[in-house]
This record gives sequence, C-alpha cells and structure tokens, in this order.
Amino acid sequence: MNILQLLNEQSIQIPLKAGDKNEIIGEMVRSLEAAGVVTDKAAFLEAVLARENTGSTGIGFQVAIPHGKSAGVAQAGIAFAKLASPVDWQSLDGQPVQAVFMIAVPEAAAGNDHLKILISLSRKLIDDDFRSSLLAVSDAEQLKQLLATI
Amino acid sequence: MKKILAVTACPTGVAHTYMAAESLIKAAKAKEISLKVETRGAVGVENELSEQEISEAHAIIVAADTDVLESRFAGKPVVRVPVAQAIKNPAGLLDEALAKEAVANDYVKRVEQSKSERSSARSGPYKHLMTGVSHMLPLVVAGGLLIAISFMFGIEAFKVEGTFAAALMDIGGNSAFALMVPVLAGFIAFSIAEKPGLAPGLIGGMLASSIGAGFLGGILAGFLAGYTTQFLKKYIKLPRNLEGLKPILLIPLIASAVTGLLMIYVIGEPVKAIMDGLTNWLTALGTTNAILLGLLLGAMMAFDMGGPVNKAAYTFSVGLLASNVFGPMAAVMAAGMTPPLGLWLATLIAKNKFTKEERDAGKAASVLGISFITEGAIPFAASDPFRVIPSIVAGSAVTGALSMAFGATLRAPHGGIFVLPIPNAVSHLGLYALAIVIGTVVTAVMLSVLKKPLKSNNPA
Repeated sequence: MNILQLLNEQSIQIPLKAGDKNEIIGEMVRSLEAAGVVTDKAAFLEAVLARENTGSTGIGFQVAIPHGKSAGVAQAGIAFAKLASPVDWQSLDGQPVQAVFMIAVPEAAAGNDHLKILISLSRKLIDDDFRSSLLAVSDAEQLKQLLATI
Repeated sequence: MKKILAVTACPTGVAHTYMAAESLIKAAKAKEISLKVETRGAVGVENELSEQEISEAHAIIVAADTDVLESRFAGKPVVRVPVAQAIKNPAGLLDEALAKEAVANDYVKRVEQSKSERSSARSGPYKHLMTGVSHMLPLVVAGGLLIAISFMFGIEAFKVEGTFAAALMDIGGNSAFALMVPVLAGFIAFSIAEKPGLAPGLIGGMLASSIGAGFLGGILAGFLAGYTTQFLKKYIKLPRNLEGLKPILLIPLIASAVTGLLMIYVIGEPVKAIMDGLTNWLTALGTTNAILLGLLLGAMMAFDMGGPVNKAAYTFSVGLLASNVFGPMAAVMAAGMTPPLGLWLATLIAKNKFTKEERDAGKAASVLGISFITEGAIPFAASDPFRVIPSIVAGSAVTGALSMAFGATLRAPHGGIFVLPIPNAVSHLGLYALAIVIGTVVTAVMLSVLKKPLKSNNPA
C-alpha cells in the first residue's frame, strides 16, 4: 500500500487555472468525483467548506490542504493541484498558495491503512525539503516520483 | 533538563493533528528540547502520554480544537492553543512552555483530581459499600468527638443523669453512634436500588444494630435490602393503573419484610457470633497479635493510598468504633498519615535525589499528610512506584504496629493532627505522636536509600 494508490491520475491537475479558493476547491472535488473517490459531490463539498469555515487549511509555506470527512466519499483519496498563479487562502502565514492537496476521508473508515498514508503525507508537508520539491514539480510524473519517497 | 509534553488534535484528524505534531517535534529538535507528542486523530490515540510522563513533565502544550482529556493535566502548567498555532509558531509555544513555573499549590489539586477520578471509577459492590461508608462518616465524627468531650468532665461523669456530660453522651453515644449502622446499611441499599432501597436498608441496619451484629451485620443488611429491592423493581409487573402502588406500597413492604425476616431468623445470630468473637479477640489482644494486626492494617493503608485495600482497612476500623473498639482506628489513621509525611521528609533529607518540582510538591504533601489524606502520596508513587510504594508501606506498617503496641485508641474516624488536641479523642497522645514520627522517618530513610540521584544531564 502506498500513497500513489490513493492518487488517481484524473485528480492531478498541473497546472490548474482557477480564479479563487472556492473555484479551486470546486474543481478539485469534481476531479475526485471523476476518479471515483467521491460519490456525492454536494455532500463532500459541504464537508470541505465547513472545515474551511472553522479555520483556513492554508498551513503556510504556500501549501493548502483542504479536507473533509463525509458519507459522500466512497474510499479515501487525494487530489493535487499546482496553481497556475498564486491564490489567497487566508493562510496562517498570510502568503498566497501555490500547491493544494485535497484529502477525502469516508465517514466510516474501512481500515486505518488509508488514513495512515494520508497522515504520513500530512507529516511530510512539515519537511522543508519535501515542500520545496513539491512546489517545483512541473508534471504528474514528477509529482508521483516525489510522493513515492514518502 | 526540562521535559515538555504536547497533545495535538483536530476534528477530522488526518491533517492538522499530525502537521502540528511534526512541527513541534521539528522545533524541539532544533532547540534540543526533550519533547513527546501525543496525537489524537482519525486513527485513534497514538504515542499516549503516561501518568508517569505527565507527572515528570515541566509543562504540557495542548494544541487542539477538540477534547483531549485535559483533566489528566490538572495541577500542571498547560499552554493551550488552537491546533493551527502549533504549525504556525511551534518554537514560540515551546518557549512559552519552558517559561511556565510549576506551582507547589497545584500539587493539592492533582491529589484532589486523583481522588475524584478514583471515586468516579468505583463500581459494583465496592461503590455501594463506599457510598454507605461516606454517609456514615459524619455521624462517627460527630458522635466520637462529642463522647470524647463528655469525658472531660470525668470518665464516668455521663452516668449522672441531668449533667452536661450526660447530655453530650446522649447526643454522641445514644443518638449519633446508634444511627451509624442503620445509615451505613441504608445508603448501601440506596446506592444499589436508589430511593426505594433506603427504607429497607435503614430497617435492616437498625435490626443489625439491635441484634448486636454490628457493622458486619449492617453491611450484609444493606446489600440484602438493596438487591432485594432491585429485584422487586424489575420483576413485579402490575396493570398500568395500579403501577403507582409499586414504589409506595409494594416495594417498601416486601423488601423490608424480606430483609428484616432474614436478619432476624437467618443472618443476625451467626453474624453477631462472629462480631462478638472479633470484638472479644480485639479487646483481649496480646501484644504480639496487636503488633501483627497493626502491621497488617498499616501496610494496607499505604499499599494503594486510598484505593480498595486502603478502604478495606479503614472501613474495618471505622466499623469497629460502633462496637467500642478504638485501637485499630488509631493505628489506621496514623498509618494513613505517614506516607505523604515520609515523602516530604525524604525530599528534605535527600535533596539531590528530587527535582525542584518534587521538593515543592513535598511541602504540599506534608500538609496533606497531617490532614490524614493518604492520597497525597499518589503523584510521587505514580512517577516511581517500585521505590515509593515499598517505602511508604514499610513506614505505615511500622507506625500501625507501634500505635497498636502502645495501646493508642482513637474515637474519631478522621481529622489527622487536628483531632489530636481534642481532649480524650486520642489516648496515649505522646506515644501516638511518636508512632507517627517513627513511621515517617522509616519511609523517608528507606526512600532516600532506594532513590537514585538525579542525573545532571538527563538523557531525554
């Protein structure tokens, strides 16, 4: 089990051209639906926006990780977007965001394996080297190579 | 080196919990601080902080947007922030935690905390018995002390009718002490079966008292009444329009009759025989047996510091007051005072083996010790059980044995040193105090020998 099994090709968007935070979130939710991760788009979107409302998921260092736990998620999965231009995300450090990981978690987690992988991704985002490589990826292949190091 | 602990948690439990943990760990590495982080996320609690780690920690960082069982940290300096703060400014949080000052006064809070946790964790028959005992205690305190005061007018003064001493004896001996066993039984039954259990329990206890079955009979009567009532509540089925008769007519009638008849015809006599045997044995106790009993009761008091073993020794001794046996009560109170006192003395004589926090905690422990709050030893015992518990058990056993050997008696079930100045509450006051001092010294010396010196540079 590795993280690439949670990341469908269709959910990788490099680059993603979108206007603002809400548009980006909407586009990434759609990509997760296309990948079969999300079955009820509206329910999952609501969970993600509700999480955003309790506090921004812009963790700083130009990275954001919008996420939601919802019955509208069939299986755990992630989506990645490298933004064509920086977008404001009300981040902790005030900087605009360039890279976005969206994490989808099902209401009833079938097994902890998926969650553990998502968790190791979260932990990895604190690593400076990992982050600077992430911000430098220019296509899906490079992203996969980077994620394979987790 | 100061140890810092942290807990991180967030509602979804896949992202912020772990990023916060990672940020804190990274910042702690950079600053060379010893840090352990508990994460409470979607995969459950990982890296859980132990009671010992909490007690040794300098301060605790709580970076959470959900509940993290913060009551565990009562009495410890806590830095409390939203989880995002630990991602944004981990170094600042660590600095803030390091700058926190431990307060000795908090030690008392921690003891209260562990006491209340223990009482809420009680369940089943043990909980019922403790409910009975705690309701009985005020009667024993009031009765025992008023009787002691009546002796100020002469040990036989109460026998002259119409005197003030006789009035005190009426209140203390004939009323307060007479209510002891009924209230014990009543509230055991109340704890089992709630309100409907109270009447049959009180009645059963009254019978135990009048038959002479003492506190053992009272305990049995309480359980009998409680479980009988509980059974009736469950299995009597009435038509709906008669249902109202059940709690007010049927249950009190049947449960009281069953309990009462069993007390009179079945349980009462044999228990009275046991109680008489016990009382006779205790009053005619030779010195060797007295010392052995004192050793046993004393060791039990310290063994789990307010837990079930301690309560067994305590309940036994309080119950015997109802049968005019006062020696074990004295031994038990003395033995219950020495554990916190001994720890305090140890922090004074072996300064280099305790951290500054522990030495401050020792001062607070001394106050708990003189107040007969044995639980005051728990935080020390939790952080180093295999050295602390044998030391306090040894000290308490010695004190219990000496108290019994000196023939000390105590008429009140609580109060620590504050009950000692009340005239006639304690017999052989000087020797009794000596017993407490010797036990305190035994614990302190033993712990000073067992305890290892603090390492100057603690390897995390």
